[in-house]
Amino acid sequence: MRKPLNWQPEFEQLVEEHQSMVFSLAWRMTGDRGLAEELAQDVLLELDRNLGKMKSADHARFWLRQVTVHRSADALRRKQAKAASLGTDLWVELEERHVLVEPRDIDDESPLGRRIEELLAGLPESQRAALVLRYQEDLTPEEIAVTLKAPVATVKSQLQRGLKLLRMQASQTLKEYVRGT
Amino acid sequence: MSVEHRDLSEQELADFERKLRIALQHRDAPLGMKQRVLARARERRQAQHGRWWMLQRIAASALLAAVFGGFAVYRQVEERSLERKKGQQAREQILTALRITDKTLDRVNERLTQGSRSNLGFQTFR
Repeated sequence: MRKPLNWQPEFEQLVEEHQSMVFSLAWRMTGDRGLAEELAQDVLLELDRNLGKMKSADHARFWLRQVTVHRSADALRRKQAKAASLGTDLWVELEERHVLVEPRDIDDESPLGRRIEELLAGLPESQRAALVLRYQEDLTPEEIAVTLKAPVATVKSQLQRGLKLLRMQASQTLKEYVRGT
Repeated sequence: MSVEHRDLSEQELADFERKLRIALQHRDAPLGMKQRVLARARERRQAQHGRWWMLQRIAASALLAAVFGGFAVYRQVEERSLERKKGQQAREQILTALRITDKTLDRVNERLTQGSRSNLGFQTFR
Protein backbone atom coordinates (compact mmCIF):
# COMPACT_ATOMS: atom_id res chain seq x y z
CA MET A 1 0.00 0.00 0.00
CA ARG A 2 1.46 3.35 -1.02
CA LYS A 3 1.67 6.21 1.43
CA PRO A 4 -0.32 9.25 0.35
CA LEU A 5 2.11 12.09 -0.11
CA ASN A 6 -0.36 14.82 0.79
CA TRP A 7 -0.75 13.87 4.49
CA GLN A 8 2.17 15.18 6.50
CA PRO A 9 1.29 15.01 10.18
CA GLU A 10 2.35 17.76 12.53
CA PHE A 11 3.18 16.23 15.89
CA GLU A 12 2.08 19.22 17.95
CA GLN A 13 -1.26 19.35 16.17
CA LEU A 14 -1.81 15.62 16.73
CA VAL A 15 -1.01 15.98 20.45
CA GLU A 16 -3.42 18.90 20.73
CA GLU A 17 -6.13 16.97 18.93
CA HIS A 18 -5.80 13.60 20.66
CA GLN A 19 -4.34 14.20 24.12
CA SER A 20 -7.70 14.18 25.92
CA MET A 21 -8.80 11.01 24.08
CA VAL A 22 -5.56 9.19 24.93
CA PHE A 23 -5.62 10.39 28.53
CA SER A 24 -9.31 9.51 29.03
CA LEU A 25 -8.81 6.07 27.53
CA ALA A 26 -5.79 5.39 29.73
CA TRP A 27 -7.53 6.68 32.84
CA ARG A 28 -10.68 4.64 32.28
CA MET A 29 -8.64 1.55 31.49
CA THR A 30 -6.34 1.84 34.53
CA GLY A 31 -8.49 3.83 36.96
CA ASP A 32 -5.34 5.63 38.04
CA ARG A 33 -4.89 9.28 37.07
CA GLY A 34 -1.12 9.39 37.61
CA LEU A 35 -0.53 6.19 35.71
CA ALA A 36 -2.88 7.39 32.96
CA GLU A 37 -0.92 10.61 32.48
CA GLU A 38 2.34 8.67 32.37
CA LEU A 39 0.86 6.24 29.83
CA ALA A 40 -0.64 9.04 27.73
CA GLN A 41 2.73 10.79 27.55
CA ASP A 42 4.48 7.54 26.59
CA VAL A 43 1.89 6.77 23.91
CA LEU A 44 2.15 10.27 22.42
CA LEU A 45 5.94 10.02 22.40
CA GLU A 46 5.65 6.66 20.68
CA LEU A 47 3.48 8.41 18.11
CA ASP A 48 6.29 10.90 17.59
CA ARG A 49 8.69 8.01 16.95
CA ASN A 50 6.24 6.42 14.49
CA LEU A 51 5.04 9.62 12.84
CA GLY A 52 6.47 8.61 9.48
CA LYS A 53 4.34 5.46 9.44
CA MET A 54 1.02 7.31 9.79
CA LYS A 55 -0.93 7.20 6.55
CA SER A 56 -3.86 9.46 7.40
CA ALA A 57 -5.57 11.30 10.26
CA ASP A 58 -7.88 8.30 10.77
CA HIS A 59 -4.92 5.94 10.83
CA ALA A 60 -3.24 8.07 13.52
CA ARG A 61 -6.44 8.06 15.62
CA PHE A 62 -6.86 4.30 15.23
CA TRP A 63 -3.19 3.73 16.07
CA LEU A 64 -3.44 5.91 19.19
CA ARG A 65 -6.54 4.08 20.46
CA GLN A 66 -4.99 0.67 19.86
CA VAL A 67 -1.65 1.48 21.45
CA THR A 68 -3.28 3.22 24.44
CA VAL A 69 -5.57 0.26 25.16
CA HIS A 70 -2.70 -2.23 24.90
CA ARG A 71 -0.26 -0.14 26.95
CA SER A 72 -2.93 0.39 29.61
CA ALA A 73 -3.67 -3.34 29.77
CA ASP A 74 0.06 -4.08 30.09
CA ALA A 75 0.45 -1.47 32.82
CA LEU A 76 -2.52 -2.89 34.72
CA ARG A 77 -1.11 -6.41 34.51
CA ARG A 78 2.28 -5.22 35.74
CA LYS A 79 0.58 -3.39 38.59
CA GLN A 80 -1.47 -6.46 39.52
CA ALA A 81 1.59 -8.72 39.32
CA LYS A 82 3.50 -6.32 41.56
CA ALA A 83 0.60 -6.22 44.00
CA ALA A 84 0.37 -10.04 43.95
CA SER A 85 4.10 -10.37 44.61
CA LEU A 86 3.74 -8.01 47.55
CA GLY A 87 0.83 -10.10 48.82
CA THR A 88 -1.84 -7.46 48.21
CA ASP A 89 -5.29 -8.87 47.82
CA LEU A 90 -6.92 -8.28 44.41
CA TRP A 91 -10.10 -6.99 46.01
CA VAL A 92 -8.12 -4.47 48.01
CA GLU A 93 -6.47 -3.47 44.74
CA LEU A 94 -9.85 -3.01 43.05
CA GLU A 95 -11.11 -1.06 46.03
CA GLU A 96 -8.07 1.19 45.79
CA ARG A 97 -8.78 1.69 42.13
CA HIS A 98 -12.32 2.78 42.94
CA VAL A 99 -10.93 5.32 45.35
CA LEU A 100 -8.39 6.49 42.78
CA VAL A 101 -11.09 7.42 40.28
CA GLU A 102 -11.40 11.09 41.01
CA PRO A 103 -14.70 12.89 40.61
CA ARG A 104 -14.89 15.50 37.90
CA ASP A 105 -14.77 19.14 38.69
CA ILE A 106 -18.01 19.85 36.85
CA ASP A 107 -20.65 20.79 39.40
CA ASP A 108 -23.65 19.76 37.36
CA GLU A 109 -22.41 16.22 36.75
CA SER A 110 -24.88 13.57 37.89
CA PRO A 111 -23.88 11.29 40.78
CA LEU A 112 -24.88 8.35 38.58
CA GLY A 113 -22.44 9.42 35.89
CA ARG A 114 -19.66 9.65 38.44
CA ARG A 115 -20.61 6.30 39.90
CA ILE A 116 -20.73 4.69 36.45
CA GLU A 117 -17.10 5.68 35.93
CA GLU A 118 -16.16 4.22 39.31
CA LEU A 119 -18.02 0.99 38.59
CA LEU A 120 -16.37 0.74 35.20
CA ALA A 121 -12.98 0.56 36.89
CA GLY A 122 -14.09 -2.62 38.68
CA LEU A 123 -15.13 -4.50 35.55
CA PRO A 124 -12.93 -7.20 33.97
CA GLU A 125 -10.28 -5.71 31.70
CA SER A 126 -11.69 -6.99 28.39
CA GLN A 127 -15.24 -5.82 29.17
CA ARG A 128 -13.96 -2.46 30.34
CA ALA A 129 -11.93 -1.98 27.15
CA ALA A 130 -14.92 -2.88 24.96
CA LEU A 131 -17.28 -0.58 26.87
CA VAL A 132 -14.89 2.36 26.90
CA LEU A 133 -14.26 2.04 23.17
CA ARG A 134 -17.99 1.67 22.52
CA TYR A 135 -19.31 4.51 24.67
CA GLN A 136 -16.35 6.88 24.97
CA GLU A 137 -15.02 6.53 21.44
CA ASP A 138 -18.36 5.65 19.82
CA LEU A 139 -16.85 2.73 17.89
CA THR A 140 -18.92 -0.05 16.38
CA PRO A 141 -18.36 -3.63 17.62
CA GLU A 142 -16.53 -4.32 14.34
CA GLU A 143 -14.17 -1.38 14.88
CA ILE A 144 -13.62 -2.44 18.49
CA ALA A 145 -12.80 -5.96 17.29
CA VAL A 146 -10.13 -4.55 14.96
CA THR A 147 -8.72 -2.31 17.70
CA LEU A 148 -8.58 -5.09 20.29
CA LYS A 149 -7.55 -7.71 17.70
CA ALA A 150 -10.42 -9.92 18.87
CA PRO A 151 -13.31 -11.69 17.07
CA VAL A 152 -16.45 -9.57 16.61
CA ALA A 153 -18.59 -12.18 18.40
CA THR A 154 -16.31 -12.00 21.45
CA VAL A 155 -16.52 -8.21 21.47
CA LYS A 156 -20.31 -8.29 21.21
CA SER A 157 -20.51 -10.74 24.08
CA GLN A 158 -18.14 -8.62 26.19
CA LEU A 159 -20.21 -5.53 25.48
CA GLN A 160 -23.43 -7.29 26.41
CA ARG A 161 -22.02 -8.78 29.61
CA GLY A 162 -20.24 -5.61 30.62
CA LEU A 163 -23.28 -3.47 29.99
CA LYS A 164 -25.51 -5.85 31.94
CA LEU A 165 -23.14 -5.94 34.89
CA LEU A 166 -22.66 -2.21 34.87
CA ARG A 167 -26.37 -1.50 34.63
CA MET A 168 -27.10 -3.88 37.49
CA GLN A 169 -24.51 -2.22 39.71
CA ALA A 170 -25.56 1.25 38.63
CA SER A 171 -29.24 0.65 39.36
CA GLN A 172 -28.27 -0.59 42.81
CA THR A 173 -26.31 2.63 43.29
CA LEU A 174 -29.20 4.71 42.05
CA LYS A 175 -31.50 3.07 44.58
CA GLU A 176 -28.98 3.81 47.31
CA TYR A 177 -28.68 7.37 46.05
CA VAL A 178 -32.48 7.85 46.00
CA ARG A 179 -32.73 6.35 49.49
CA GLY A 180 -29.98 8.62 50.64
CA THR A 181 -31.58 11.83 49.36
CA MET B 1 -47.01 -8.33 29.63
CA SER B 2 -43.76 -9.80 28.40
CA VAL B 3 -43.80 -7.41 25.42
CA GLU B 4 -44.32 -4.51 27.82
CA HIS B 5 -41.49 -5.83 30.01
CA ARG B 6 -39.20 -6.19 26.97
CA ASP B 7 -40.07 -2.67 25.81
CA LEU B 8 -39.37 -1.35 29.25
CA SER B 9 -36.01 -3.16 29.32
CA GLU B 10 -35.06 -1.84 25.91
CA GLN B 11 -36.09 1.64 26.94
CA GLU B 12 -34.10 1.28 30.15
CA LEU B 13 -31.15 -0.03 28.23
CA ALA B 14 -31.25 2.85 25.74
CA ASP B 15 -31.52 5.29 28.62
CA PHE B 16 -28.59 3.65 30.39
CA GLU B 17 -26.52 3.69 27.20
CA ARG B 18 -27.24 7.41 26.81
CA LYS B 19 -26.14 8.03 30.41
CA LEU B 20 -23.06 5.92 29.80
CA ARG B 21 -22.15 8.02 26.75
CA ILE B 22 -22.52 11.20 28.79
CA ALA B 23 -20.51 9.76 31.69
CA LEU B 24 -17.75 8.61 29.36
CA GLN B 25 -17.13 11.89 27.59
CA HIS B 26 -13.49 12.76 27.05
CA ARG B 27 -11.81 14.17 30.10
CA ASP B 28 -9.55 17.15 29.70
CA ALA B 29 -5.89 16.20 29.65
CA PRO B 30 -3.94 17.40 32.71
CA LEU B 31 -2.72 20.98 32.50
CA GLY B 32 0.65 21.22 30.84
CA MET B 33 0.61 17.64 29.57
CA LYS B 34 0.98 18.81 25.97
CA GLN B 35 3.97 20.98 26.89
CA ARG B 36 5.57 18.09 28.79
CA VAL B 37 5.06 15.74 25.83
CA LEU B 38 6.47 18.28 23.38
CA ALA B 39 9.45 18.96 25.67
CA ARG B 40 10.19 15.23 25.97
CA ALA B 41 9.84 14.83 22.20
CA ARG B 42 12.25 17.73 21.68
CA GLU B 43 14.72 16.19 24.15
CA ARG B 44 14.47 12.86 22.36
CA ARG B 45 15.02 14.50 18.98
CA GLN B 46 17.99 16.44 20.29
CA ALA B 47 19.47 13.28 21.81
CA GLN B 48 18.82 11.47 18.54
CA HIS B 49 20.39 14.38 16.63
CA GLY B 50 23.36 14.26 19.04
CA ARG B 51 23.72 10.53 18.48
CA TRP B 52 23.47 11.05 14.72
CA TRP B 53 26.05 13.84 14.89
CA MET B 54 28.37 11.63 16.96
CA LEU B 55 27.91 8.75 14.51
CA GLN B 56 28.69 11.10 11.64
CA ARG B 57 31.85 12.27 13.39
CA ILE B 58 32.92 8.70 14.11
CA ALA B 59 32.22 7.74 10.49
CA ALA B 60 34.14 10.77 9.20
CA SER B 61 37.06 9.96 11.52
CA ALA B 62 37.04 6.34 10.40
CA LEU B 63 36.96 7.46 6.78
CA LEU B 64 39.86 9.86 7.29
CA ALA B 65 41.84 7.18 9.15
CA ALA B 66 41.15 4.75 6.33
CA VAL B 67 42.21 7.30 3.70
CA PHE B 68 45.43 8.24 5.52
CA GLY B 69 46.16 4.64 6.46
CA GLY B 70 45.56 3.58 2.89
CA PHE B 71 47.83 6.32 1.63
CA ALA B 72 50.56 5.31 4.08
CA VAL B 73 50.28 1.67 3.07
CA TYR B 74 50.30 2.70 -0.59
CA ARG B 75 53.44 4.78 -0.02
CA GLN B 76 55.09 1.88 1.77
CA VAL B 77 54.20 -0.56 -1.00
CA GLU B 78 55.36 1.97 -3.60
CA GLU B 79 58.68 2.46 -1.77
CA ARG B 80 59.22 -1.27 -1.47
CA SER B 81 58.46 -1.71 -5.15
CA LEU B 82 60.91 1.06 -6.02
CA GLU B 83 63.56 -0.50 -3.80
CA ARG B 84 62.92 -3.88 -5.38
CA LYS B 85 63.28 -2.33 -8.83
CA LYS B 86 66.50 -0.65 -7.80
CA GLY B 87 67.79 -3.90 -6.34
CA GLN B 88 66.88 -5.72 -9.50
CA GLN B 89 68.64 -3.06 -11.61
CA ALA B 90 71.72 -3.32 -9.39
CA ARG B 91 71.61 -7.10 -9.68
CA GLU B 92 71.35 -6.83 -13.43
CA GLN B 93 74.24 -4.38 -13.51
CA ILE B 94 76.34 -6.75 -11.41
CA LEU B 95 75.39 -9.64 -13.67
CA THR B 96 76.33 -7.56 -16.74
CA ALA B 97 79.63 -6.61 -15.10
CA LEU B 98 80.23 -10.25 -14.23
CA ARG B 99 79.42 -11.29 -17.79
CA ILE B 100 81.82 -8.62 -19.13
CA THR B 101 84.50 -9.73 -16.66
CA ASP B 102 83.87 -13.34 -17.60
CA LYS B 103 84.26 -12.55 -21.30
CA THR B 104 87.39 -10.46 -20.69
CA LEU B 105 88.91 -13.23 -18.61
CA ASP B 106 88.00 -15.70 -21.34
CA ARG B 107 89.79 -13.54 -23.91
CA VAL B 108 92.82 -13.12 -21.64
CA ASN B 109 92.86 -16.81 -21.08
CA GLU B 110 92.56 -17.43 -24.81
CA ARG B 111 95.47 -15.10 -25.57
CA LEU B 112 97.54 -16.63 -22.84
CA THR B 113 96.82 -20.05 -24.20
CA GLN B 114 97.69 -18.90 -27.72
CA GLY B 115 100.94 -17.24 -26.47
CA SER B 116 102.08 -20.29 -24.58
CA ARG B 117 101.35 -22.48 -27.60
CA SER B 118 103.47 -20.30 -29.96
CA ASN B 119 106.31 -20.26 -27.44
CA LEU B 120 106.19 -24.00 -27.16
CA GLY B 121 106.32 -24.41 -31.00
CA PHE B 122 109.35 -22.18 -31.26
CA GLN B 123 111.19 -24.14 -28.65
CA THR B 124 110.37 -27.44 -30.37
CA PHE B 125 111.50 -26.07 -33.73
CA ARG B 126 114.84 -24.95 -32.28
